[in-house]
Amino acid sequence: MSITSFYFLCFFAAVLFLYYVIPKKAQWGFLLFVSLAYFMTSTEVADSGGWYVVFYPLGAVAAVYLAARLIDRTKEQKKRRAALICAVIFCVGLLCTLKFFRLGLLAPMGISFYTLTLLGYLFDVYYEIGPVQDNYGKLLLFGCYFPTMISGPIVKYQDMKEQMYGGHKFDYRQVTFGMQRMIWGFFKKLVISERMAVIANEIFDNYGSYAGFPIWIGAVAFTFQLYTDFAGCMDIVLGISQCFGIVLPENFNAPFLARNISEYWRRWHITLGTWLREYLFYPLLRTRFFMELPKKLKGRVGKKRAKQITTFSAMFILWFVIGYWHGGTWNFIIASGLLHWFYIVSGELMEPLFVKWRAIFRINVESKGFILFQRLRTFVLVMFGLIFFRSATVPDALRMIGRGFSAFNPQIFADGTLFSFGLDWIELVIALVSLVIFGWVTVEQQKGWIRERLEKKNIVFRWAVLYALLFYVILLGQYGPDFSASEFIYQNFKV
Amino acid sequence: MSREEVFEKLNEVFRDVFDDDSITVNDTTTADDIEDWDSLEHINLMAAVESEFGIKYSMGQVVTMKNVGEMADIILEKLS
Repeated sequence: MSITSFYFLCFFAAVLFLYYVIPKKAQWGFLLFVSLAYFMTSTEVADSGGWYVVFYPLGAVAAVYLAARLIDRTKEQKKRRAALICAVIFCVGLLCTLKFFRLGLLAPMGISFYTLTLLGYLFDVYYEIGPVQDNYGKLLLFGCYFPTMISGPIVKYQDMKEQMYGGHKFDYRQVTFGMQRMIWGFFKKLVISERMAVIANEIFDNYGSYAGFPIWIGAVAFTFQLYTDFAGCMDIVLGISQCFGIVLPENFNAPFLARNISEYWRRWHITLGTWLREYLFYPLLRTRFFMELPKKLKGRVGKKRAKQITTFSAMFILWFVIGYWHGGTWNFIIASGLLHWFYIVSGELMEPLFVKWRAIFRINVESKGFILFQRLRTFVLVMFGLIFFRSATVPDALRMIGRGFSAFNPQIFADGTLFSFGLDWIELVIALVSLVIFGWVTVEQQKGWIRERLEKKNIVFRWAVLYALLFYVILLGQYGPDFSASEFIYQNFKV
Repeated sequence: MSREEVFEKLNEVFRDVFDDDSITVNDTTTADDIEDWDSLEHINLMAAVESEFGIKYSMGQVVTMKNVGEMADIILEKLS
């Protein structure tokens, strides 16, 4: 059951109603029941009849639950460590076996997300910075809470425990804010992403018949497709959760406003970045190997370089894991891993040179023009990575990039070629207008939540905006080949 | 070792790690007070402090330490 389907909205409405009529004490149990029910109806399970996949999250939670309790109760470092290692091997092993080694077994929905969420909890207990949960059912809800099962965010136990088990009274403001956020997510996903997908699919699937600008149009379209799809999904997920009174951490903060790639990764998939930094990167830097490395190198290359080499080597491992986590094949390892490592490392190494250039050309780094240049640069660098992400194989991506440089054909912008990528002119106009609205809201959002500012406006204006957005989504969303507004409700809402 | 001696040694470590001889730390010094003290440098700093005093922080202490005062408290506790 996809979260953009009509059935999901019905399911959600029923769940929301029941959630606020049952006693507060029963709410977490109810959410657990709903989460497992949702899990059982996920497409992976429905398509194969493989109901047994529910045992994967049940097993992972059981392993983490037992290990955390043992770690919490014993002072013996050896036992604590053994329990930690066993549970980590079990969970990571399960994740790798199901998701990456592709042994013909079914990977359950959300496995990469709930695995990290659970391991984060376990590490916090091990490091003695987080509390332990003695109720298996409650920990199961923490791991399998259905909004986060879809595609994150990766949550921290300390942030969730009171919200999840505490019980919530119906709060009009929270519920309406949640629903508004969902509509905004549907706007990104159904209006923008689905349209961008048409162009991206056409060009990536037939890149051999295009050269020059159409290739770059396809790459730009895919960049927007992926971003609005993922960020839209997050809006829907955070909105759903807010309706239950449970505030989840933000996963995106306008990544394309970032002025360099490091900043981009602090704004894109934020909870994954935080997780990997805290539970992989820092512990890695504190291993004996990485602690000794700068001391060994210091004599040969100097203190500063020694530090840099150490950090960059540890980062290489970090980015390899990020890439691998995204898909397990080389195109993902390059697209969202090593290429970004290369960007960051070369950026740092060339920084002294950049400083010199900026001085020679008297560039004001805080001028609007320069900031715009930096943001465009971020977009282009990320876009190149995403060409690998979307292509079937690495050679395909390289050939496609080659074709992009093989012709210079600006005339395609004027001779109607633009309408041959699968969207006619009216669809293209809708896509562009929507992108402009999206971009404007993103920039405005930096000054504070639009919803809160909207709240201060008068009631007529407020509802006019909301209805406009709602109808915009209903009428223009979910583009498909048989698209028409009347068919929308009956036909295009597929489970 | 007295608390003053710990701070004296900490000053040296900080000056060495951040390459800045004007640094003087006290109980309330935090990462906000020293420009280059970001999360990555924090890990380097911890390593330098550990080797100076011959102690080992736990990962939990590394990430929850709030200021230099707390850092010194843990050092004194481990040395005693």
